[in-house]
Amino acid sequence: MAKSARQAQIEQAALYPLDWVEERSGLVGYTKWMLFRNVPRDVNWMQTLGSATLTAFIVQAVTGVFLAMYYKPDPNSAYQSIQHITNDVTLGWLVRGMHKWGASLFIILMFLHMARTFLFGAYKYPRELNWIIGVLLLVMGMAEGFTGYLLPWDQTAYWATVVGININATAPIAGPFIAQFLQGGAQIGPDTLAKFYSFHMLVIPGGIMALIGLHMYLVVRLGVTSPPWSKVAAGRPRDVAPPDGYGEYREGLIREHEQEGKDS
Amino acid sequence: MSDEPEETPEAPGHSLWPVGFSIGIACILVGLVISWPAVVIGAVLTIVFGVLWIRDTARTHAPVHSAPAHELMGDTPSPGLAAAEEQHLETYGRAGFLTLATIGLGGVIGAAVVLPSLGFAVLPSFTGAGIETNEVDLGPLENFPEGAWVITSFIGNKAQGNVSKRTAYVRNNGLSATKEPSFTIIYSRCVHLGCPVAPNGPKFEEQAVTYKDVTLTPVQPAGFGCPCHGGAYDTEGNRTAGPPVRSLDRYAFSIVDGNLVLGKHFSVGTVEGTGAEARIQRYPVAYPGVHVDGISKWLYPLPVPGA
Amino acid sequence: MASKLKKENQAEFKRYKEDVAKEGKPFFPYAIFHDTVMSLVVVVVIIALAVIWKYTADGTEAGILGPLYTEEADPGTTNFIPRPDWFFYFLFYLLRIFKWPETVVLGTVGVPTLLLVLLLTLPFYDRRPERAVLRRPVAFVAAILVVISMGVLTWKGATAKEGSEAVGEVPAWAEEQGFADDPVAVEGATLFAESGCLNCHVYLNAGGQNLGAPDLTEEGLKGRGIEWQVAHLKNPSSKVPGSQMPSFATLGDENLTKIATFLEASKGPQG
Repeated sequence: MAKSARQAQIEQAALYPLDWVEERSGLVGYTKWMLFRNVPRDVNWMQTLGSATLTAFIVQAVTGVFLAMYYKPDPNSAYQSIQHITNDVTLGWLVRGMHKWGASLFIILMFLHMARTFLFGAYKYPRELNWIIGVLLLVMGMAEGFTGYLLPWDQTAYWATVVGININATAPIAGPFIAQFLQGGAQIGPDTLAKFYSFHMLVIPGGIMALIGLHMYLVVRLGVTSPPWSKVAAGRPRDVAPPDGYGEYREGLIREHEQEGKDS
Repeated sequence: MSDEPEETPEAPGHSLWPVGFSIGIACILVGLVISWPAVVIGAVLTIVFGVLWIRDTARTHAPVHSAPAHELMGDTPSPGLAAAEEQHLETYGRAGFLTLATIGLGGVIGAAVVLPSLGFAVLPSFTGAGIETNEVDLGPLENFPEGAWVITSFIGNKAQGNVSKRTAYVRNNGLSATKEPSFTIIYSRCVHLGCPVAPNGPKFEEQAVTYKDVTLTPVQPAGFGCPCHGGAYDTEGNRTAGPPVRSLDRYAFSIVDGNLVLGKHFSVGTVEGTGAEARIQRYPVAYPGVHVDGISKWLYPLPVPGA
Repeated sequence: MASKLKKENQAEFKRYKEDVAKEGKPFFPYAIFHDTVMSLVVVVVIIALAVIWKYTADGTEAGILGPLYTEEADPGTTNFIPRPDWFFYFLFYLLRIFKWPETVVLGTVGVPTLLLVLLLTLPFYDRRPERAVLRRPVAFVAAILVVISMGVLTWKGATAKEGSEAVGEVPAWAEEQGFADDPVAVEGATLFAESGCLNCHVYLNAGGQNLGAPDLTEEGLKGRGIEWQVAHLKNPSSKVPGSQMPSFATLGDENLTKIATFLEASKGPQG
């Protein structure tokens, strides 16, 4: 369809800002490449677990930022601030609830994602580094859970943390030093809560975000695998002919036939 | 002009200056932890050897062919300058010196920022005094009838407030064979992993007494049990069942003006005998789960400062 | 050998890239649509859980999803039962399995560290390019075993019972076991609940199972008699050889008789 001059004009105006940014940074081109790059045509629903985990993390980060505006990290006022958030602050109960249950979902999704990756053999060449980063993310996620658990400063929080720190103390040679560092002294004291808060808000999330960035960069660069049982897996040996009807694929809710590759 | 082998025209000769420099740096770091004079000595060593080292590497033993450089610059050196340059040795060259200097200075900046911050993050945990429970006044001796157990909850450190609240199981043993007052004061946290240990017996809440911010509740325990992983102790704090790795911790005490005053917290290997005649194997305070005697104590050979 | 493997791997990756370039479909909108749907499900589930939590609980009163918070931290408490977050239950239960003092360090750091190292180095000891599940029997079986054992440990950690403050349960016990009309037995039941017996014994679905202690719900049916019970409480290993139960002699004869009466009256749920 030939474009009318008017249409061309509108298109120009709309694209002008994008071109401006692209010329000065190259970002638009990169984003386009990331969005419109090819992925294997047989990707499976199980492969949405990774982005689901990312969503859960984003929920945690956003709700965490807003909770931090009301939470007071001092043993004498932490519990009251949590009660205040839950009972008094408008929608405080919702943000706190989302943060608490988002944490559980985050951990569950990480385990499911890890299981899916294991099942698909997607930790093998060339994705070994990504697997290692993933395991580190799992450990950091659980550390987030551990440090965050102390923050409400109620009985559950306090005693679970006592036991958790003492578990570290049982490690040979270095154990007692690790425990003393975590506690900020010989016993859980006023510094412990501030230290856990700093770890929970700054240190570990910083590490998680850096590793997620690296993790996603590798996914985009190396590509996602096809399910191992797929007859048309990307990377399959060349001597195996594709099955009849190859080229037919379901796109979301839309079925389409493609004529290419259909013989007979 | 000596003709050094061409294959290593840029390598500096062997020298002891780097060794001296490193010793200086080490002195500074150790001194930061231990003593100021060491820091000063270290700084002097570092500067002196650093200067000597840099001077040495900027000097060279092989001749420089400066002709190509001058060609590039499009000038011709005067004969005098040429001779001086030949004399004057730039094997290391400007590029090399600048590289070294950048890395060196970068290292210094990095160290200057990171080391104090790391020290700040880590060292205070080991130089503080923990929760001082010395000199906590638990109240008059009348509140501790002879032979009876009392659950005593107190604030260990007034400045820290409620976070330093602790509990001890106190029994007045009367007088020992040498006519000295004897108390068994057992810390209420399990030595497996720190859970709160409960008395195995009826508590008499209605007879509870308060003395300032100390709460005293009579109890009649047959022993002590931990709800977390099944640890059990007898009334001397010795382990009778479960995973605890030693006996329950205790406190020392003193009697001041007829009041029971809490002393230092210490860990216990085992207790032989009971009550006033008990023989207690004392150790410095150890973390729960840490063996203080037997073979397994060698898993934890290093004492933790500030514990 | 290694370089043959490497060549295989590289060739496969090359084929992969060719296939994706030729037959692949664009990430946007085909794949990202699925991602978006799944993300929506995640967000909806989180919000739903938050709403249910708020509207079924009330402060420290638990609803379906637990209380909104427990009591404020009391570092001097003597009757609280610590529990970690649910995703640590498998480690928590592991600690109950390693209950001999010399093995504590295995349960706390030994086993978990070993498993973590195995997990981290997986790509280095499983180098075969094979991806089909049924052609990786070791991996498949190992994965199933890990999932099952973590699931079992987590579930057992979640249902691990405690010697909790069951004093409030005594009237209900009296009703169910049918000794409500016997005041001595009721007093004995209260003493039983206060003396930490439930740390090791189970009674009518309360209490913990530790160190091989038997379930006492139907102790009265064993025909042991009050004298036996009192003697056992004073010196357990004299009546049950090899018993790890400590002595309760310091409770005094009167209290021991009450507990014995209660035990002998415990004949299992009455109708």
